[in-house]
Amino acid sequence: MLTVQIVNGLMEGMMLFLIASGLTLIFGVSRIINFAHGSLYMLGAFLTYQLVPLFSDGSLLGFAVAVLLGAVLAAAVGALFEMAVLRRIYRAPELMQLIVTIALVLIVRDLVRLVWGPNNVSVSMPDALAGAVQIGDSFFPTFQFAIFGAGLLVVALMIAIIRFTRAGVLLRAATDDRGMVALLGIDQRRIFTATFAAGSFLAGLAGGLASPFGNVNYLLDTEVIVAAFIVVVIGGLGNLYGALAGALAVGVIKSLGVLYFPRLAMVLIFLVMAAVLLVRSMGRRELQR
Amino acid sequence: MSAARIDWRIVAAGCLAVLAAIALGGRGGAPLVTEMLLMALFASSLNLLMSYGGMVSFGHAAFFGLGAYGLALAVSRFGLPVAAGLACGPLLAGLLALVFGTLCVRLSHIYFAMLTLACGQITFTVLFQWYDFTGGDTGITGFMAPAFGLDERWFAVVVLGVVVACLLALWRVVNAPLGITIRSVGEDPERVSASGLNPRRVQLTAFVIAGTLAGVAGSLFAALQGNAFPDYAGLGFTLDSLIMVVLGGLRSFGGGLYGAVIYVLLRNYVPLLVTEWELVIGVILLLVVLWSPEGFAGGLQRIGRRLRSEPRP
Repeated sequence: MLTVQIVNGLMEGMMLFLIASGLTLIFGVSRIINFAHGSLYMLGAFLTYQLVPLFSDGSLLGFAVAVLLGAVLAAAVGALFEMAVLRRIYRAPELMQLIVTIALVLIVRDLVRLVWGPNNVSVSMPDALAGAVQIGDSFFPTFQFAIFGAGLLVVALMIAIIRFTRAGVLLRAATDDRGMVALLGIDQRRIFTATFAAGSFLAGLAGGLASPFGNVNYLLDTEVIVAAFIVVVIGGLGNLYGALAGALAVGVIKSLGVLYFPRLAMVLIFLVMAAVLLVRSMGRRELQR
Repeated sequence: MSAARIDWRIVAAGCLAVLAAIALGGRGGAPLVTEMLLMALFASSLNLLMSYGGMVSFGHAAFFGLGAYGLALAVSRFGLPVAAGLACGPLLAGLLALVFGTLCVRLSHIYFAMLTLACGQITFTVLFQWYDFTGGDTGITGFMAPAFGLDERWFAVVVLGVVVACLLALWRVVNAPLGITIRSVGEDPERVSASGLNPRRVQLTAFVIAGTLAGVAGSLFAALQGNAFPDYAGLGFTLDSLIMVVLGGLRSFGGGLYGAVIYVLLRNYVPLLVTEWELVIGVILLLVVLWSPEGFAGGLQRIGRRLRSEPRP
């Protein structure tokens, strides 16, 4: 039972990482807490729901194409929002940036409800992943492993991009010192737009991948954003590796919590989040800024 | 932030306007006005933190919800009379504000916001999960007649009295030396600590005052509805209060008040025209941030200045 829960926890943790990676990326570069991250996730899920029948009658490739296309569309929405709104207020107090992302939450939620209605929709799983895998004498849904694999792939790709490409160098430089990057003659606006688009892509990707699992409805946004905040805070805001560790930890804590004290599981997670915030802040000027 | 003295003419005019709305508003008028008043108090309490203390809380609804549950639990679980319950609500909210605040003021900026989010979600989850005591997601209902069984209009008048008293007290606070200290901590905590004050203690004081006032609003809200639900402490109400403050106007005492009036009116009347009222609020919020970052109050001031400097021929 313990191993089952740990495996389940790791699987859920990888899902959480997919959700949180984009959020932490955006925060690292632009210092913006994107409340609309959950909305982009939801958008990715609904777009996948819309696109899957066009590309796939159960085939894995078609599903992947639908998910990727949904993520690209989510990225386009994110980029558009960055260019039309956020770009005008980078100099305003942080609160203003946060408020416009909350405005985006409201707008996306109502648009989603307008287009897809208020009821649950469900996305069918690709046939190849619909079964179960046996480990020992327990069964796990194959789909979970596929998501885990997709998560690992995303981690590897992100690390490769961040380490070895020019875009990655710029991203790291912008995370460390925005002013210096600007002094070197690099157009910051493009970095910000690209980062926001990449973060939105990841949100949409996570939403699309998770869509066959459970219900897709217009209430997903707040559920997801709170989970993403927890992970990002535990992993250290702006820290990608931290987000991975944090996500796996949260996944495992949650599933073990469900096993041992079912009612307290969620409280436990928030307590961990609070403890991490308090402990990390001690003796660290950087956090106090 | 104008002169510190209370302008009783404005208070009287405001009260008369509210009384007129209650008297003439017909069947739906009084409950709408009551909701508006309670949201005004709730948003104003958050405004104390945001506009004066420079603290952005993501968990402010926790205290609103605790106010509601303080009343509901005192009456339904401990058999206290409703009047005593009404005192328990703000007390519970204030106590928890002291506990959460002690932790939260150790952090600043986004980390403060994240910790208040955690505290708010802990409160919400406990209310949501502790079935035996709080009733879980079914909440607590039927512990009192909605609005004490009073006529809705009379209840609205009672609420008006309480809210005006709280807002006047808040006005006294922000214009007293304490309020000036809160404001200076909001601007520059290091300078405040250099002048020998403890900025954290000042922030904690503001946090407890704000939490208690939110608790008053929550208790009366529970009394209005005759129920208490975990949602009252949830992220939805927190976002509502943030949106109200920004709509109404940051850096202005009336921000919460204006914001609540605008928000409640929009929420009640926009759905009559289009079903997508959140879309409308979202777009309005975007426009406010882009074109009038100081909200409705800032817009009013700008118009006022323009009128004064350019008198009509």
